[in-house]
Amino acid sequence: MPFVSRPRRRAAAALMGAAGVAVALGLAACGVGDPRTYPNTTFAPHTEFGRDIDDLWNLLLYLGTAVFIFVETLLVITIVRFRHRPGAPRPKHVHGNTTLEILWTVIPAVVLTIIAVPTVRTIFRTQARAEPNALQVEVYGHQWWWEFRYPQYGVTTASELYMPTGRKVNFALRTADVLHSFWVPELGGKRDLISNHVNYLWWTPADSVAETAWNGTCNEYCGASHANMRFRAFVVSPAEFERWARHQAAPAFFNASAAAAPAAPAAPPARTSFGPAPAAGPALVRAVANVRGAQPGKGTAPAPGESPGGSPGGPEAMQVAAAVADTGAVFPRDRLPSYVIPAVPTPAQLKFTPGLVGDPARGQKIFSGGLCIGCHTIKGNPMAAGVIGPNLTHVGSRYTIAGSLYKNDTDHLRLWIKNARLMKPGVTMPTLGMGQVDPQTGATVTAATGGLTDQQIADIVAYLQALK
Amino acid sequence: MATLAAPAFAAPIERSDGGFLSWLGTTDHKRIGYLYLFTATGFLLWGGGEAMLMRWQLRAPNQHFLSAEQYNQLFTMHGTTMIFLVVMPLSAAFFNLLVPLQIGARDVAFPRLNAFSYWVYLLGGLFISVPIIFNAGPNGGWFGYAPLTTTTYSPGLNIDFWVAGLQILGISSLAAGFNFITTIINMRAPGMNLMRMPMFTWMAFVVQFLIVLAFPVITIALVFLLFDRFFGTNFYEIAAGADPLLWQHLFWIFGHPEVYILVLPAFGLVSEVLPTFSQKPLFGYPVMVYSGILIGFLGFGVWAHHMFAVGMGPIADTVFGVTTMLIAIPTGVKIFNWIFTMWGGSVRFTTASMFAIGLVAMFTIGGISGVMHSSPPADLQQTDTYFVVAHFHYVLFGGSLMGLFAGIYYYYPKLTGHLLDEGLGKWHFWLNLIGSNLAFFPMHFSGLLGMPRRIYTYDANQGWDTFNLLSSIGAFIVGFATLILVYNMLVNRKRGRLAGNNPWGAGTLEWSIPSPPPVYNFAEIPRVTSRYPVWDLTAPELTAAVPHTLRGDEMVTAQVGGVSAGQMSVPADRRPAAAAGAGLHAPPARVPSAEELGIPIPYTTTKPFFTALGIIVMFGGLLLTRMENKIPGWAVLALGAATLVGGLYWWLTSPLEPEHEHAGAHGAAPHHAHAH
Repeated sequence: MPFVSRPRRRAAAALMGAAGVAVALGLAACGVGDPRTYPNTTFAPHTEFGRDIDDLWNLLLYLGTAVFIFVETLLVITIVRFRHRPGAPRPKHVHGNTTLEILWTVIPAVVLTIIAVPTVRTIFRTQARAEPNALQVEVYGHQWWWEFRYPQYGVTTASELYMPTGRKVNFALRTADVLHSFWVPELGGKRDLISNHVNYLWWTPADSVAETAWNGTCNEYCGASHANMRFRAFVVSPAEFERWARHQAAPAFFNASAAAAPAAPAAPPARTSFGPAPAAGPALVRAVANVRGAQPGKGTAPAPGESPGGSPGGPEAMQVAAAVADTGAVFPRDRLPSYVIPAVPTPAQLKFTPGLVGDPARGQKIFSGGLCIGCHTIKGNPMAAGVIGPNLTHVGSRYTIAGSLYKNDTDHLRLWIKNARLMKPGVTMPTLGMGQVDPQTGATVTAATGGLTDQQIADIVAYLQALK
Repeated sequence: MATLAAPAFAAPIERSDGGFLSWLGTTDHKRIGYLYLFTATGFLLWGGGEAMLMRWQLRAPNQHFLSAEQYNQLFTMHGTTMIFLVVMPLSAAFFNLLVPLQIGARDVAFPRLNAFSYWVYLLGGLFISVPIIFNAGPNGGWFGYAPLTTTTYSPGLNIDFWVAGLQILGISSLAAGFNFITTIINMRAPGMNLMRMPMFTWMAFVVQFLIVLAFPVITIALVFLLFDRFFGTNFYEIAAGADPLLWQHLFWIFGHPEVYILVLPAFGLVSEVLPTFSQKPLFGYPVMVYSGILIGFLGFGVWAHHMFAVGMGPIADTVFGVTTMLIAIPTGVKIFNWIFTMWGGSVRFTTASMFAIGLVAMFTIGGISGVMHSSPPADLQQTDTYFVVAHFHYVLFGGSLMGLFAGIYYYYPKLTGHLLDEGLGKWHFWLNLIGSNLAFFPMHFSGLLGMPRRIYTYDANQGWDTFNLLSSIGAFIVGFATLILVYNMLVNRKRGRLAGNNPWGAGTLEWSIPSPPPVYNFAEIPRVTSRYPVWDLTAPELTAAVPHTLRGDEMVTAQVGGVSAGQMSVPADRRPAAAAGAGLHAPPARVPSAEELGIPIPYTTTKPFFTALGIIVMFGGLLLTRMENKIPGWAVLALGAATLVGGLYWWLTSPLEPEHEHAGAHGAAPHHAHAH
């Protein structure tokens, strides 16, 4: 007999089993809103945008689950109840039933209307124009890293996004090359970066999430290292944000020169191509003092009586400058959750001479006289004004490098400079270590091609780390 | 207990296989269907292997089994292979095998064009698939978004293979589309009016229109890209001010109807399988027809739901969100009509019917998640994550492929004369069902928990490890299950149990003739009086009660399947007394040949093959022009063009069949109705 004997029971059992697995996964999923287990969950929104989406999602989930249970139950009942029984007469030929067919056309239509109405409302609410006093952040996608500019503060940074709680953040999204997509799942829906277009997205981080760090990703396939185009999003209190922004806007010097010239910018800060220089001095002090509810946004327009880029005012300002110079970053390093600390291993074949100690002053010389300045800007180092790679002003204050792929520590920075292309496929950053083979071209790096010894790399790393 | 024995009569016709050349030159729609079936099954293993490699990489975080470049080529080719080289050609295998049989025709309208479609598919499929072996495979995603695919960002040959390959495959689909539209409109047997056509033929009919209307759009999009890459135009060059959304709109105006091109044939197969194994006609036939047409029609108005994140503005988002929701209505109608086809029936669980029921169960999940991202704001959290990967695998694996598997188990005996092994079939079904749910259900979670698509690796501590491990285990179970299917197909191709004309007790026309059908299909073109002509003979007491399918005494004229030539038969244990008294008798020992019956059969010809080869060589030459020295490229291109033109000339000036030569000589039309 070609056909199996008791298939219906097995069919039913299997469908029940499948449903059981689904339910088990569903129960497991009850924890999906818990960021400790699922740090990138979309079930625990922390902005008004995220909550709007989550409300819609809940509606879809409940209705979808109801439809799922109804249809699958009906199916199982049908195949169990009307299974073939030996000796049973041939079934009557029924060709249709108009009432039933109208019913199962109309009921889905009603269900879909229940979904459509709040959907349309949410579309128009979430795509409204953001109010002008929102914190403006310009996001630039690059193959394969993120650049963030704060035009109201004159800050340009890479891979790490800082936002204050309680203030609307309006993102203007642009790409420098191919398409990318900007997403922080915990904060809200994504938006694509389209060449020759500007897209907008806004949200307001809830007050309850100060001192929280999240992961961001690129979600539109953008070439070789699409998977490695990550970033970190930090939500801090408004006061901490102001402190961070003012510090990032200031030129960066490594400790030696900072100590030698405590009255930092005697001349107007070096202006880069990335935006207006910030108003330093008294404005900074006021901003720091004036914590929550501060409405800077006037960063580019100094208050009457202040000279743009004027020299620091009194001792207060120096005190603040010293404080931020120590820490650089405002997010306490010991409170970084594990999921924002990269665990990506480095290539096994990539080694660095142990025991080398770098000298930042020497590093600055190598940096300023070598290939580095062709691509990187460091505000405070007039030689370094390239715009191809990430802006390295205050790079020492960041937690990650290379599109948040690796920890920003001595080991990873050294290996990165030695052979970036081995550590992240396809990158523009050239392989620089003497004797290293460039995996893209197959060429071996020599002194003639700008190769660096391990000692030179250690010096550069010391310099970069000093740029707090 | 067995419910229906395979009748051990009517030894299958042993094809005079005639070796390699006879396959190269065949114009018989059944043999072409055979070629499609086995080629597509080969590509199924190829595309499935690509999936296995990817799942091995993603089984745990931070794996480097594959490089980024290898992974990117694999995911690009997995999508391209499964869509263009597996699901569409598997559907084409059934179009070829079934459309002429179901409408009572001797072949398709243009048998040589049909062969041409197949050869273009095979050669184009190799053209696009082989480069990955040399690490030069397409790597821009199956969607090929500009500007990543322009020479600025993808200077290598990888994308060239993709652009040229898709262009080639489009020729195959378009030629087949026109062929089947002509066949279905013109070559239906007397009495086979549109509302009597079997549901599979109906869905095939809708799909051909989708192909004919959607493929020109991707052709235009690809021509733009080809010109950008080879001749320096600026359709997608962003530095020259191009708008990348041009590509996205063109691609998805093709791409969304393509989804229905992939799934409607499977729906058609399920609509054949479920009535047979419920022993009940399809519930709500007219509504099934209209919902199929409506799905096809609405399918052209929803493309921008793939683009909710690109910033089209609230009005476009609203319009495309609502049209997308609308499509759920006719789809839901189909689901309920299938369930009510079984309701009140006598459902037998064969592998074919289990796969069909599996489609109903699994496609429902894909449909529900589809509605979830028809809501644009909700989609912003879902698009380009694994949630979408889960969704369309429920649609295309749980939907298209399970329907096609049902079709394979159901129609393999018709194609080969031999039944597939049901025991192995059951193993295939259960492993497939368990494996696919294990692979694809957890993807809903990894997506909603923040995992982006198309990433070759992911970091630890992201909460994705367990779900990915489950998905990988499931994928390997599916891979193993597919091997069982292929083994079953190969082993039972000539050695399986004999099928007889109608092993399943089905009701449509194709089951009235021997398995495999003789080259001429029907000795006498049947006269059709209802939707289930065979049931009119085997169970007239049931079908007689349905007034809209029968016209009085036409019913038992025993012309169905040319019974007078001994073609018609039903299994003895299924033959009611009424039918037995209506002149049915045991089949003859052998089936008469076409010559004996005086039926003209198209010549075997390799002209379509060489014409197809010319196209491939031309595109190969075009790619060679990317070399430093352009002369070899242009030479190859010219050679290909000459082959194409020569092949076409040779083809178009030679007669299709002996009758045509006679017609030319005597100036008289042949007496057999056959398209030219």
